[in-house]
Amino acid sequence: MNSSIHPPDRHDGLIAALLWYGTLLASAVIAAGILLAAADALDPALGLSAIGYRLIKIGVVVFILLPVSRVMLMMILFLQARDYVYMAIAALVLAIIGTGVLIGL
Amino acid sequence: MDMTTLLWLFVVAFGASALGGMLGMASGIFIVPILILAFGIDIHVAIAASIVSVIACSCGSASPFLKGRLTNVKLAIVLETATTLGALTGVLLIGIIPTPFLYALFSLILILSAQQMMARRRQLIRNAPPDPASWATRLRLHGSFPDRALGTDIPYQVDRVPLGLFLMYGAGVISALLGIGSGVLKIPAMDTALRLPIKVSSATSNFMIGVTAAASGGAYLVRGDIDMGIAGPVALGSVVGALAGARLLMRMPAEKLRILFSVVLIALAIQMMLSALDIQIWGN
Repeated sequence: MNSSIHPPDRHDGLIAALLWYGTLLASAVIAAGILLAAADALDPALGLSAIGYRLIKIGVVVFILLPVSRVMLMMILFLQARDYVYMAIAALVLAIIGTGVLIGL
Repeated sequence: MDMTTLLWLFVVAFGASALGGMLGMASGIFIVPILILAFGIDIHVAIAASIVSVIACSCGSASPFLKGRLTNVKLAIVLETATTLGALTGVLLIGIIPTPFLYALFSLILILSAQQMMARRRQLIRNAPPDPASWATRLRLHGSFPDRALGTDIPYQVDRVPLGLFLMYGAGVISALLGIGSGVLKIPAMDTALRLPIKVSSATSNFMIGVTAAASGGAYLVRGDIDMGIAGPVALGSVVGALAGARLLMRMPAEKLRILFSVVLIALAIQMMLSALDIQIWGN
């Protein structure tokens, strides 16, 4: 009964998977970065600190991109469902986030 | 940022987030005061770092709500137009707002959170047929969610979308200005303006928080406002803590925890207000 109300469950499942595995990826990269930085503190000669901080930065960027990619995924799913009104709404959200980045630059 | 501080940031974020998770609340509101008061971090740096952990917690906890069909994703994307626009406004404002005002605003939000923590959430369900001319009907926002106790789907209506959009804009501004998820403002907006069932409004609010925070987080990132040595361990600690806290949710005496949290929130509010007035009692 709810196919016209909710997007199909398959879509919600895709969004859930994207957010969950994205979180795991970003967390793992940050954790690896912290461990490398810690290893560097024990033995600075290895020069791991720079790599560690680079990894932490990558993890943080992945976290910030995760909700953005979630909106992109929703836009694609709405397009597939030929739901053009919602595709436009998702595109508007992306445009607003993009404007924020441009303001930041 | 030395190694010890890095590890302490992780531990403290984990602890705050695990405690918050036990009450089903986000820890963002604790992160900024802790970074300022315990680590002596500048408020602007604390806000930019906290916004990353807000994104992490929202993304990390979204999956069970989505799979349980509690999240109204269409309503979320509609309201996100307003929250992201609000976040954009906050990004523009944060550079010109005097720092004492930020402290005062934070203090006010902490008091609101304490009050909300003690109050019972009200559920206003309408049984009248949906108004065919309303925004919600035209946007096909009405939904249903599974009720485990009844073993059936419960239909619900979405009310007063324009008012909801207006309140969500405000929540977006506050989120960007203070580095919090603004659940404290989103939840009442969804409960009372949109009149959603409590489970649906919690799930949908949590889902929207990540996108709202990404709008300001993206801007802070390209501006170079995010200190990775702070944001990284705090985000990791928060997300792991939130997952651990959610598992402990049922095992703690919620009422006592609720009172304890309210007291902590009020104490932080007082300290933030004193900082706004530039009075130092417990020192920095």
